[in-house]
Amino acid sequence: MSNLEQARALVKRGQVMTVIAVTAIALCAVRALLFTPVERFQGPAQKIFYLHVPAAWSAFLAFGLVGIVSGLYLWLNDRRLDLFAEASAETGTILTAIVLITGPIWGKPIWGAWWVWDARLTSTLFLFFIFIGYHSLRAAVHDPQDRARFSAVLGILGAMLIPFIHLTVYLFRTQHPMPVVARPEGPTLPGVMLLTLLLSVGAFTLLYLGWTTLRYGIGRVREAREELHDATA
Amino acid sequence: MTPPPDNGAYMIAAYAITGVILLVYGWSLWRRGAAAMKDDSAPH
Amino acid sequence: MIRLALTIATKDLRAELRSRTALVTALAFAALVLVLFEFARDPTRLTAALLAPSAVWITGTFAATLTLGRAFSTEQDHHAMDGLLLAPVPREAIFIGKWLGALAFALAIDVLIVPLAVLFFNLRMTAEALAGIALVLVLAKVGFTAVGTVFSALVAKLRSKELLLPLLVLPFLVPPLIGGVQATARLLDGQPLSDVSGWLRLLLAYDLVFVVGGLLVFPRLLDE
Repeated sequence: MSNLEQARALVKRGQVMTVIAVTAIALCAVRALLFTPVERFQGPAQKIFYLHVPAAWSAFLAFGLVGIVSGLYLWLNDRRLDLFAEASAETGTILTAIVLITGPIWGKPIWGAWWVWDARLTSTLFLFFIFIGYHSLRAAVHDPQDRARFSAVLGILGAMLIPFIHLTVYLFRTQHPMPVVARPEGPTLPGVMLLTLLLSVGAFTLLYLGWTTLRYGIGRVREAREELHDATA
Repeated sequence: MTPPPDNGAYMIAAYAITGVILLVYGWSLWRRGAAAMKDDSAPH
Repeated sequence: MIRLALTIATKDLRAELRSRTALVTALAFAALVLVLFEFARDPTRLTAALLAPSAVWITGTFAATLTLGRAFSTEQDHHAMDGLLLAPVPREAIFIGKWLGALAFALAIDVLIVPLAVLFFNLRMTAEALAGIALVLVLAKVGFTAVGTVFSALVAKLRSKELLLPLLVLPFLVPPLIGGVQATARLLDGQPLSDVSGWLRLLLAYDLVFVVGGLLVFPRLLDE
């Protein structure tokens, strides 16, 4: 199978996965909004939880994969790894944006503050900064080999940074107890809510996979077309 | 027993904005995907 | 290899010292920024002593960030990079050399800033506190300059490098900054070094991870 055909197959697979994922997300939203009970003390706003947490999980998954794939690229030098990292970074940025937007909208009614510098939200903010840096860097480098190498360095160093940010903020907060950001759900979620959460996590994961496969396919097609163009030029 | 707080507006805002983001990005991706699937008309 | 690295570091440092302008400019800039902090506070709400740790660290790291851009600019300007790469110098040595040069520069800035802060902010600084703060500064700058050296090499060829370097590097500054400010504030307050051992361990862990990380990825940056 030629590169172009392989690439197109990926696009197709990505499209199919995305359609399934979007349907799943829609169904989960319906379940969350209409068929999951309202939390007694937090009210309907608690249901933002079913968007925020799955999006956060997917965003960090995207970022983790960018890190791992970046490391692999530096080791193996395979162009396709770079294209995958590029795809995962793009979809990860969108998911991170969702986390950062739903965070304050959830925070205001539940915790009384639009923003808190807790370890998770702060890590997510820096995730976003690294993603933005990643895209800016890629846009600034014209040679594809350099672009791949430089992005990979940022990708893997960034992946090493985020756990440190999380740890540092956590240490900071244990020394400076602030208005408690209690995990509003407590240690145990009632079964029906837990199921909604798990289904939503699954749906968002599927969305990440579908989007990323599709975006990866688009990158592969672009690459394959350039190869053909160069070959016949 | 006090009723739950009346903060449904936040919920709607969050779901609406998320929906918009998913739609906009999803459409952008879909469009690029369709362009990728089109057969090149340039002769090889 | 260590000798090679030190040769590179001393070559860079000697060049900077000979020209002197770069170091003096950086020091003057740092002093000015420190002073700005004084004018940027409301004296009725924030005592100078409270602001001092933040001022010292922000000033020191911003100045260091700006000087990081110079780490590879000489080679860039004079196309000397090819020469450096052709020489039988292991790339790790280049990294260590550049890193030590950047570290020396960053610490030189701190050597100026801390006494100035004591002066401008009327700080009570005991010898123990000073020793502790010196340790914290070194620990923090070690990791930060390692990361900075990697990114400095990365952006060396790019047109938008002045903007891009801070954007890429500043997130990496956050853990050393938090650790540094927290430890400094406590030490200035008179607490013993043992009280900040947690932060010191964090800084040390950060250093290990990013010096080793830098050593591993830097050679790949220089591939053609």
